Amino acid sequence: MAESLAVDVAERYTRRGKTRISRATVQRVIVYFLLTLISVLVIVPLMWAFAASFTPNDEVFRYVFPFSWRALFPVDFTVEAYRNLFFEEGFTRPIANTLILGFSTVILSGVTSALAGFAFARFDFRGKDVLFGLVLLTFMIPGEVTMIPLYIVVSRLALVNTWTALIVPGLANSLVIFLFRQFFIEIPQDLIDAARVDGASWLKVFASIVLPMSKPVLITASLLLFLGQWNSFFWPLLVAPDPKLRVVQVAVSYAYEEHKTLWNQLLAGSVVAALVPILLVLPFQRYYVSGLVGSGLKE
Amino acid sequence: MAVRRADHTRASTMQWIPYLFLLPAFILLFTFRIAPALAGFREALYTHNLSAARRSFVGWGNFAHIFRDPIFWKSLRITLVFSLVTNPLQTALALALAVLANQRVRGISIFRSVYLLPVVISINVTSTIWGLLLNKDSGMINGILIQFGLPRQPFLLSPDQALWTIIGIISWVGVPYWMMFFLAGLQGIPQALFEAAAIDGANAWQSFRYITLPLLRRIIAFVLISDTVVNLFLFAPVWILTRGGPQLSTNLLMYDAYRRGFVWGDMGGSAAMMMILLVIAAITVAVEFLLFRSREG
Repeated sequence: MAESLAVDVAERYTRRGKTRISRATVQRVIVYFLLTLISVLVIVPLMWAFAASFTPNDEVFRYVFPFSWRALFPVDFTVEAYRNLFFEEGFTRPIANTLILGFSTVILSGVTSALAGFAFARFDFRGKDVLFGLVLLTFMIPGEVTMIPLYIVVSRLALVNTWTALIVPGLANSLVIFLFRQFFIEIPQDLIDAARVDGASWLKVFASIVLPMSKPVLITASLLLFLGQWNSFFWPLLVAPDPKLRVVQVAVSYAYEEHKTLWNQLLAGSVVAALVPILLVLPFQRYYVSGLVGSGLKE
Repeated sequence: MAVRRADHTRASTMQWIPYLFLLPAFILLFTFRIAPALAGFREALYTHNLSAARRSFVGWGNFAHIFRDPIFWKSLRITLVFSLVTNPLQTALALALAVLANQRVRGISIFRSVYLLPVVISINVTSTIWGLLLNKDSGMINGILIQFGLPRQPFLLSPDQALWTIIGIISWVGVPYWMMFFLAGLQGIPQALFEAAAIDGANAWQSFRYITLPLLRRIIAFVLISDTVVNLFLFAPVWILTRGGPQLSTNLLMYDAYRRGFVWGDMGGSAAMMMILLVIAAITVAVEFLLFRSREG
């Protein structure tokens, strides 16, 4: 009797142990299955675009319809699309324009936003709360709302199709001001006091004490500012219709309209336009995500 | 006396310094963000002749003109349907994806990197690629449908399917984008809470329902509200893929505002449309905000 009970318990115990293990395994299998399924949804379109951009134009849809795995690899490899894109279509121009736009924004907006962030983080002054409230408010107003009125002003000033109109409005970035403030507020007061006692001016404190220890926020801000311009579309579309000032995203979008039959070239342009942000973000993923997410969580 | 005076001058120069630090950024913010938003209301009351740099006051004329236009009412209806579907859908899927991406399994960081790809690629490139994938005659999606013996679909060419197709395309970006916010929120929840719940016999659904959801309430509200605003001002996919068609079935208000100004040359009407859109955004955000507030009590 006692023996059979013991066997019973032992049996139940092992059975329970087994189901526990197998349930954990099942759970893990489901998790991996879902993770992979979503990865496929993300990667397959990109792989096709990548492969097709290295395919002769009349072969772009060959393995797609009906679908075969060959569609995801450049089986008839050629760089024809890229050669045409850069040497005949002059795609270097939009790239150069966008690089100029991006780098000038990183430098100019980086400096002005960092200065403002420093003031909000380290000074007490009259109207601070109101002014910071304004920064947060401009966050809430989507950029698109201001673009049509801004376009009216810019065109009245005859600034359409100028670098000024293309670059300067993008320098106003409240998210980056906010990120700098959040970072500067954490810097120990002792460091700043020590420098002040030694007679350093505030600008010197900012440039030689604060900035050198702010690498994380500088990376985050630069990434957000650069990618913001690299991916910007609506404002350049309105304010710089001149092909000489065309930026990458506008060029890609016009290509969709104008070269509806030069698919491999269209996709080559898209691959270039996509590769820059991917290569910039992947090594600095943590900085990028913390910057984007920071706006939503720290309040 | 001398000491006090030195103190005084130092204090008063001190008072100027913060404003000097703020000045460049605030000139920019004021000129390019705050003033144009306010000017939008004024410009909406004028008709504009940009080539002659002239404008004339028409009062509420632009608005009256828009409200008499049946295209506006159709766009408004489309925009409302679009918002009501897209925002809850993206928020719910983003939360689900975040729970999945928060699982502590080997290689999870690789999956997270993959999910970041649609976020960093521009919406223009995304629209271009999906536009080709969804091509009626030779797109990959129809290639796959045919292989399963299903009929091929017109997608962006059909007035019944185009809007839903655009919702699908932008969710390919929106879901992983908002997922990052939820993931950051999930990672902020102490693991001990879940362990305690598990010891008390809570299953996965219960700990999601009674731990995760309440602790993420503020982020859910933030995501829903931000997503609403972003999608009300959605422009690029419509411009690239459909230009508001077919048969105006994707003529969202934002695109209609653009079309009025930059295709028809009616800048005053365009500015008025933007103001209408801004009011709609404010109302929707207020309603969502109140919904979340009332549930908190």
